[in-house]
Amino acid sequence: MEDKNDNKKSSRRQFLKKGLIAGAGVVAGGSLLSAYVDKSKPTSGEKVKVLTTEGDLVEVDKSQIHSPRVSIEESHKGIPGRKFVMVIDLAKCKNARKCVESCQKGHHLPSSQEFMKVYFLQDSEKSAPYWFPKPCFHCDNPLCVSVCPVGATYKRSDGIVLIDNERCIGCKFCMTGCPYSTRVFAWKNYPEYAGDKEPYSPEASSPGKEGTVSKCDFCPDLVRIGKLPYCAQNCPMGVIYFGDIDEDTVTNGSETFRFSDLIRDRSGYRYLEVLGTRPSVYYLPPVERQFPVERGFNDLEESVKNRFKNTPYGKTHKL
Amino acid sequence: MRTQDKFRIIFSFLLCLCNLVPSAQNKKDSVTGITPAITFSYLNSNDTIILTANIFDKKETGVFAIKNAVIEFSASGDNETRNLGQAKADEEGNAIIKLPVASGLPQDKDGKTTYFAKFSGKGKYQPAMGTFSAKFARITVNFSKEDSLSFILVTATQIDHKGVVNPIQKEKVVVYVPRLFNLLKIGEIDLDMAGTGKVEYPGRLVGDSLGNIMVIARIEENDTYGNVQGQSSISWGIPKQYYLAEKPTRELWTPIAPIWMIVTLIIMLTGVWAHYIYAVIQLVKIKQISKRKPE
Amino acid sequence: MENKDTKEKLLREFAPQLEKTSSVTLVWILFLLGVIGWGVYAFVAQVTKGHIVTGMRDNVVWGIYIVNFIFFMGMSYSGAIISGTLQLFRTEWRKPIIRMAEYLAIISLLIGPGYILLCIGRLDRLYYLALFGRIQSPITWDVIAISTDIFGCLIFLYLSILRDIASLRDFSELKIPAWRKKVYSVLALGYTGTPEQEKRLRRATDIMATMVIAIAIIVYSVLAWIFSVTLQPGWHSTIFGPYFVIAAVYSGTGVLIIAMWVFRKVYRLDQYITRKHFVAMGVLMVVLAALFGYFTFSDYLTKWYGSEKNDESLIRILFTEYYWPFIFSNYIGVLIPLLVVGIPKLRTITNITLSALVVIVALWFNRYLIVIPTLESPYLPIQDSRPEWTNYSGTWVEFALMAAGVALFCLLFTLASKFVPVMNVSEMSEGPKAEPSELFKAEESLL
Repeated sequence: MEDKNDNKKSSRRQFLKKGLIAGAGVVAGGSLLSAYVDKSKPTSGEKVKVLTTEGDLVEVDKSQIHSPRVSIEESHKGIPGRKFVMVIDLAKCKNARKCVESCQKGHHLPSSQEFMKVYFLQDSEKSAPYWFPKPCFHCDNPLCVSVCPVGATYKRSDGIVLIDNERCIGCKFCMTGCPYSTRVFAWKNYPEYAGDKEPYSPEASSPGKEGTVSKCDFCPDLVRIGKLPYCAQNCPMGVIYFGDIDEDTVTNGSETFRFSDLIRDRSGYRYLEVLGTRPSVYYLPPVERQFPVERGFNDLEESVKNRFKNTPYGKTHKL
Repeated sequence: MRTQDKFRIIFSFLLCLCNLVPSAQNKKDSVTGITPAITFSYLNSNDTIILTANIFDKKETGVFAIKNAVIEFSASGDNETRNLGQAKADEEGNAIIKLPVASGLPQDKDGKTTYFAKFSGKGKYQPAMGTFSAKFARITVNFSKEDSLSFILVTATQIDHKGVVNPIQKEKVVVYVPRLFNLLKIGEIDLDMAGTGKVEYPGRLVGDSLGNIMVIARIEENDTYGNVQGQSSISWGIPKQYYLAEKPTRELWTPIAPIWMIVTLIIMLTGVWAHYIYAVIQLVKIKQISKRKPE
Repeated sequence: MENKDTKEKLLREFAPQLEKTSSVTLVWILFLLGVIGWGVYAFVAQVTKGHIVTGMRDNVVWGIYIVNFIFFMGMSYSGAIISGTLQLFRTEWRKPIIRMAEYLAIISLLIGPGYILLCIGRLDRLYYLALFGRIQSPITWDVIAISTDIFGCLIFLYLSILRDIASLRDFSELKIPAWRKKVYSVLALGYTGTPEQEKRLRRATDIMATMVIAIAIIVYSVLAWIFSVTLQPGWHSTIFGPYFVIAAVYSGTGVLIIAMWVFRKVYRLDQYITRKHFVAMGVLMVVLAALFGYFTFSDYLTKWYGSEKNDESLIRILFTEYYWPFIFSNYIGVLIPLLVVGIPKLRTITNITLSALVVIVALWFNRYLIVIPTLESPYLPIQDSRPEWTNYSGTWVEFALMAAGVALFCLLFTLASKFVPVMNVSEMSEGPKAEPSELFKAEESLL
């Protein structure tokens, strides 16, 4: 009986928690949400009840609050008053690759294109290897933007660097300009691109176009409706924190921290700071890891496991 | 499954029904149709009760929300059961209703109100129900400045069925500030015997463009009161900068180039093309000379 | 002052080339067209199936196309610099070969950018470069520079062939169809050799010669900067501007020597292009070989000694995967010309031409080693299980198009030699040593 009571208490607690989270999302995202009710879009007739910040329950047409695909011109302007930053906690990453897969699914990418890549790095001979998820760093001094001859890639006021695939001529200079090997190229017309039926927007980086360059975009189309990017939403360990650096807050969906506290307490840094690109992604070093690094090799597909055969760790452990 | 186990499960479910603090249940009908499950969540915010019923079908392949299911909400106390309305589940299976409680809610003798979310079944989906009970409570948030320090003051009260206001004592209140995606925790308060408490405002927080910032205080996941929320705003926030430069700066990565680049380019091109034009003029003159002297 | 007799004699010599096409030449032209046809087929494959038919992937995004681009542009600037310099210095021995240098400049300048076009993913948007060009981008600088250079070289070439066209227009013995005569007279701009016309022509030619040298240096430096302004290890080198220019002129001398040899053989120009000319070009080649070796050594010594991590991994790749191309291009490519021209016994026309061939191949490999190994050793290690994504190897499409480019180059050169004599007839018939017998006395003054 005791156990059952405890069970009931914990399940009650879970339901209460759900109420909180639902409430939180609605409270916080409400103001953005109401800003992104696009009355110009045609109504579908289907109504959805949505809560605003003030707690008002409003009925909004379903098609008007779906992930908006803003026009190319609109995508040059950043979301006002924001400057996005990402913090990645290397102590918790176990190479689950849910970030990679959910990003590929959300952006309708083939499996050969990865916007978010997970590397297996080892800084020096004696230092310990670690898993390193790497999105685009959305640098504040972006070399890729500087070298584009036609202005197809641009940096917005909210810090996000986007690519306009209607302008890109596919010269690939930006790919050689990026020192972090972030960008990918559409070498052919991948069938997955046709899976996206909605109009193209640089904010969604979808549907992809053959002969153009694309990369991680920090999912501004999701941010506009109060959602985190695909990678942050789907990480089972909550490794990826995303937020607004001016607001000094980052969250992985369940935990929310002050950005400055996180960086101070966990000694956050930027990768290859010396290159002078001023990235917008900070890393928390793998101190007090939650798992041994070998966990990352569990349940890996052969083709992915083979990637790490030639690393020093792979060679000694004969992967 | 063996028949014994089946009976054990059904018996424990019946036991749940008898319990004074029931939690969400699902009736399993393993013979025909699909039995959806309902999870129920509750938030009491600024005298408004928000009930969220999430209806879903849990299969082996995953959890699937049942869209457009009509959920009826009701509240019951000792004497009455009041119908609160109905809502349709959205894409994620959430049916939400909001109740302003000016009119008061039915309560039992402990001051608790029990809420029900019922799905009456449609097509292949069997009926399902979820319940929840909580006492009605209220949190108010105020602000004060003492010396050079700023404080957030919180008062929590509970109104019983007679209308008497009692303080909520010795519960934990967490103080938040809403940010872009989530709420940021800025403090914790333990309520004293009078149902009040205070915590220092940490400062360095960005508000809206006028500097207004909303502060939210919550009692979370409480056995008696559920989730209770109160909020208020104050102009202690740092005004948010909406910088939209009239003209972007001139850098390598901006739409307009640094001045020295433009100047250098113009000088070099003019220099080169001036020589070209000179050479072409010479050619033109050669032609003219030949025309002048007919051979 | 022109010596009319010499000129008539020379024109008679060259008339057969302009009048008819021998069967050998016809076969040659058909062969070249065949190769170009194969290239067109490869191009269609690339356009329809996408760039996936090439060997380029996300890490090595620039492959053989860009190597060929750099190579052809290098030859072009080399031709420009050589012809410009020789024109200004008015040396005697340059006269038979200067026309070939000018052809080299303009023909490779027309083919080089073609390779860039092959590398561009969306050719249908090419005009965006003009419409939306960003001044901050090195590619925009390159587009502006190449366009300026094309105009400059065309004007320079035109100034150079003007007098020959006028002579051909006046040469009554020339048996060519009437439409060609008309073309010559239109292009000759009524040039009759009056003192004033000559003066103007000389002034224009000198100015353009200077411009062409300056532009060639600037344009090739801009191309070098496309690589050196990025942060890629191996490219981010301060020496790239001058290094590329030197390597370019070096490769150009090689091609020029081969052109000299080919035309000498085919058109039987043994009298005019003599061993002395080969030796003179050979000496130029050696000087440039020394400079090229010096720059290369300086670049790699700096990288190797400092042993920064990424420079180290690059050098490791060069000495393991690319060992033989590296040795060939940077050691053999420098030593062979030095030996062949340095040792008097070896200084024959055949040897010099063979060493020129070695130089060209060595320099092509040098360009390959500049572009591709760097892209194979980026800051973040390439962790991919697919071999074609880890290492680059050119596919048949890329090689077919490379062959087509070379074939087009040869074809244009052949056709150009049929339009205007491949040697500067007017220049050769003037000057103090314009007597037919004197032309060969020039030998003793050199070496």
